[in-house]
Formats: sequence, structure tokens, C-alpha cells
Amino acid sequence: MQFNRIVYIELYKIFRKPRTYIAFWAVAAIVGLIQLGFYADGESYMKFGMQSLSDSFDIKGRILNGYLMAYIILQTLLVHVPLLIALVSGDMISGEASLGTLRLLLTKPVSRTMLIFGKFTASSIYTLSLLIWMAIWALGISILVFGADDMLILKSELVTQIVSIDIMWRYVAAFAFASIAMIAVASLSFFLSLFAENSIGPIMATMSIIIVFTILNTLDLPIFNQLKPFLFTSHMLGWKGFFDVQVNANNEQIVGSIENLPAVLISAGILVLHIIGFLWASIIVFKRKDILT
Amino acid sequence: MLLEVSHLSKSFGNFTAVEDLSFSVNEGEVYGFLGQNGAGKSTTIRMILSLIKPTAGSINIFGLSIEKNREKILQKTGAVVEKPDLYKYLTAYENMKLFSKLSGMTLGRQELMRQLAVVGLEKRANDKVGVYSQGMKQRLGIAVALVHNPSLIILDEPTNGLDPQGIADIRNLILMLSKEQNKTFLVSSHLLSEIEQIADSMVIIDKGKKIVEGKVSELLNPGKVQMEIITLDNISAKQIIASSVWADGLKYSTSEKILVETEKSAVPNLTRFLIENGVELISLRSANTLEAYFLSLTSEHAV
Repeated sequence: MQFNRIVYIELYKIFRKPRTYIAFWAVAAIVGLIQLGFYADGESYMKFGMQSLSDSFDIKGRILNGYLMAYIILQTLLVHVPLLIALVSGDMISGEASLGTLRLLLTKPVSRTMLIFGKFTASSIYTLSLLIWMAIWALGISILVFGADDMLILKSELVTQIVSIDIMWRYVAAFAFASIAMIAVASLSFFLSLFAENSIGPIMATMSIIIVFTILNTLDLPIFNQLKPFLFTSHMLGWKGFFDVQVNANNEQIVGSIENLPAVLISAGILVLHIIGFLWASIIVFKRKDILT
Repeated sequence: MLLEVSHLSKSFGNFTAVEDLSFSVNEGEVYGFLGQNGAGKSTTIRMILSLIKPTAGSINIFGLSIEKNREKILQKTGAVVEKPDLYKYLTAYENMKLFSKLSGMTLGRQELMRQLAVVGLEKRANDKVGVYSQGMKQRLGIAVALVHNPSLIILDEPTNGLDPQGIADIRNLILMLSKEQNKTFLVSSHLLSEIEQIADSMVIIDKGKKIVEGKVSELLNPGKVQMEIITLDNISAKQIIASSVWADGLKYSTSEKILVETEKSAVPNLTRFLIENGVELISLRSANTLEAYFLSLTSEHAV
């Protein structure tokens, strides 16, 4: 009961703050711009991209379709969404401290642990709602504008074709995975917000950590290679695994297959462990924290 | 005894904010918690409300330890600590609704509006708190503290930043709730005159330590008044007073001012005595301030 009340209150506060809607406007604007760009110049862009393939294969159908658009958009956008997530989750505790409402909250009969759980759940719900919004724009609007067909994904050494009837569930799974990744980001900025008295610090710190870890991921040095599997940023793009399909002896796609499901599951598991770790650390720190603001 | 603070201490590194502080508040009384700015009042109140952990000592409220029964105690306690900070982007009504829900209450609009009417904010209930004046925020803060009908109300400097009318409103509200609803109040202030008007008992602290505790009527001696005297030559004036019938009342004297305690009815005689004895007065005024009271408590070192 107490938990439900806290979640309701926190969601009420989140969705009454103007800054919450910055993320929704930003997602709609960026996706809309990408769609507009591809709608205007997409065909010539695709022709150029598929030039080498066209020489060897006879490609029929709509290559630039809603499914491919969603893939391009997700690939572009999910790198930047952490900033939009941190805008709200990094403000969950530090924002209260800066407003002075943290001490008022804690003079009410709620347990500190429950307050952290409630606030974290609310920021996770915000994260999920942002991803659903992104799915509506990236997938829903793209299918409406560009139509649906089989999906061709170009990789460095191969081209993957996924038949249209086998795509939608992959997007559902990909968005579920992306939600876990973004909640991991939210849990990091939430944790950092315990140590600040305004939300700029946790937002900047979250982005700095993501940038540093991403740079480490790109450096192929033995010392960093040992570290990479444990960095949550190494697993954030694991959603792409749902678009790697298995093929049979005739090089035809096996419908419903994933090339390396264990790797996807391990990535998801590591992200979940990060979420649990950050949440647990948040509870420990908050329970011991002197409220001096 | 509703609230009992025993040998409470709090240190931040090498700095001791509160040291071995003990006092107790009885049910139904308005208890004044006095001290200069930085004396350790807010730190003590934060410890009472479990916002910060004491370095030593214990706090019992409603016969229970706050350390082990925090939620149970806070269910029956309301508080405004320092500034009454609320959600500026929400209306007064929304703030009330959220905090009542957080306290486990399900109050309808009518009841919440009635509570806002108690602090005179029913007509501004739908305005965002961001546009409220300091006085309105203070009153709303008190309404939020009262929303779950607590028995003990802790107000930390509730009249800070208020104009005289705002101060009078808060004072009347405390007296009304205390008398009509038998609420117990712990009210901190750095103004003795404020506490004198509302409190039954009080404790005065300085640099985190207790100076004095007791009934206001006994401690302040209402028949008497502290007169602050400033003259062109305070040293000579002090000698004149010290060798007269007013010597017993001489509490404090420096080159800047002299403090004399006397019966209120004797103030005209004191004025006449000073003038007749050639004291060149610059000012003579009542000084019932905390500063004057402190000075009078430590008078033997100062005179």
C-alpha cells in the first residue's frame, strides 16, 4: 500500500514537471527529422548504399521500409537517449534536495527504503514510457509512412534478410532489451543523484561515465579488453542480437531464430545485475544519509 | 511526557553542533526552543525527526525511541523544518493532496479545502506555490504539517521572513490549535519576545549546550522588564546606578550600553533618577530580547 502510494505520488510529480516533456519532444523531433530526410532523399541514399549488391543480386520490393527505418532510428537514437533518461532520474533525489522538499518528505511516515524503491520504480516507469513513445514514432509512424516489407540489414561482411512476418516480435524483444539497458542508465543516474544537491551534477556524471566507458569499449587494448565484459555500456546495444538470424544449409533464414541467444541473455543479465547493484547501493547510502539540505 | 531528549550530542567532524542536550516537553503545552542563529536548534530538531543521526544520546517521543519507531512516531508528528519548501510547480491543493496521501490519509477535496481554510489559503488553493509570498508558503507549510492530524507539531523558526501581520497570524494559529485541539507544539525561535507570547515552557541553548529550562512565567518574571540604557558616558552612568537603589537591578554594563532589570511600574522612576542625577541619556528602552536575557543570565561576569 505504502509502495503504491509513493509510486503514484512520484509519477504525479514527474509528469507535472515541464522538464519531463523535453525528452518526449526531443524524441518526436529527432525521429520526425530522420523520417523526413529519408522520405525526401531516402531512395537515392539507399541506391548508393546498395550499389555493390545491385551488381550481384536482383533486389525487388521496398528496401526502404518502416522496419528498416526503425532499425536505423534505434541505432542512431539509443546512444543519445541516456541523456534524456538522466534528465529525470538524475533529478529524483537531487531535485528534492535542491527544492528543500527532501526533508519534508522524510518528516512524513514513510520508510527510507520504501521511498527509494518508489522513486526508482517511478523513474523506471518514466523510462519505459519514453521507450514506448520512441517505439510509436520509430516503428509505428515509420510503417505508416514507408510501409512494411522484408528487412535487409547491411553489415560489414554480410547482408541479413529478415522476412516481414518474422520482424515484429524481434522489435518487441529489442525494445524490451533496450528498456533494461535504459533502466540500467536510470539506476546509475538515480544513484548519483543521492550525492548531489542539484540535478546538473548527476546528469553530467552519468553522461561522462557513459562516454568514458564507450571510449574504453572502442580501444582494443588487452588491459581494457579484460574490463569490457563488466561494463554496462558494452551490453547496451545487445538489442541488435535479435536481428541476427540463423540460416539453414540453403542459406535461407530460419524464421523465429536468433543467431546467438545466450550472448543476448548474458548481456541482459549483466544489465539487470547493474540495476540491482545501483539500487541496492542507493538504499544503503540513503538509509545512512544525514538530511542537511 | 510527550517528548524527551536525553544527553543528545551531534558532531560534524571536529565541530560539535549539539552537546549533551536534555529537555522534555509535556503533552498539550507549547514549548519554546530558543537560541541565537547557529546555536544548534535546527540540528536538534532534525535529530528529533530522524533526519540526521545523533552522535550520542536518545530521543523518545510518545514513549517510543525515534531510532526504532520512526514511522510510528512520524504518523503522529507534523513538522516544518527551517524554510517551508514545497513543490513550486504544483498548486497548494495538489501539495496538500500529495502529502496527505504520503501520510496514508485519503482526504477528499472538501476536507483538504477545509484544512487550507484553517491557514487562510482556501481562496489561493489553485495557485501554484511558486507565486506564493513567504508568509503564504509558511502557512501552507504548517497546513502540510497538520494534514495528517498529528498530536505533536514541530515548527522550526515559523515566523522567519514574515511581516508583523504574518507573525501575528502564525502566533494566533499556534495558540488556537493548542487551546482548541490540545496539540503539543515545539517551536524554535531566536526571538525571546515571540516565545514569551506563546510558550508555556522553554529551553534556551547556546553553542549546542543548554543554558536554562523551565516555565516561561518563572524564567521571564513577567512583572519585570530589562531596560537598555545608552548614554553619552556609560562608565559614569554605571557608577551612578551602582551606587543607588537601582544597583540590585544592574545586570550588565559596557562602554556601549547598560542593562538594568526593574519592575515595569518603576520605569518612570528610573528615568527620573537618571535625569536628576545628570546622566545624559541617548536612549532608554525595553530590551526583552534573547540577547538581553543571555546577558542577564551571565551578568555576574559582565557587570
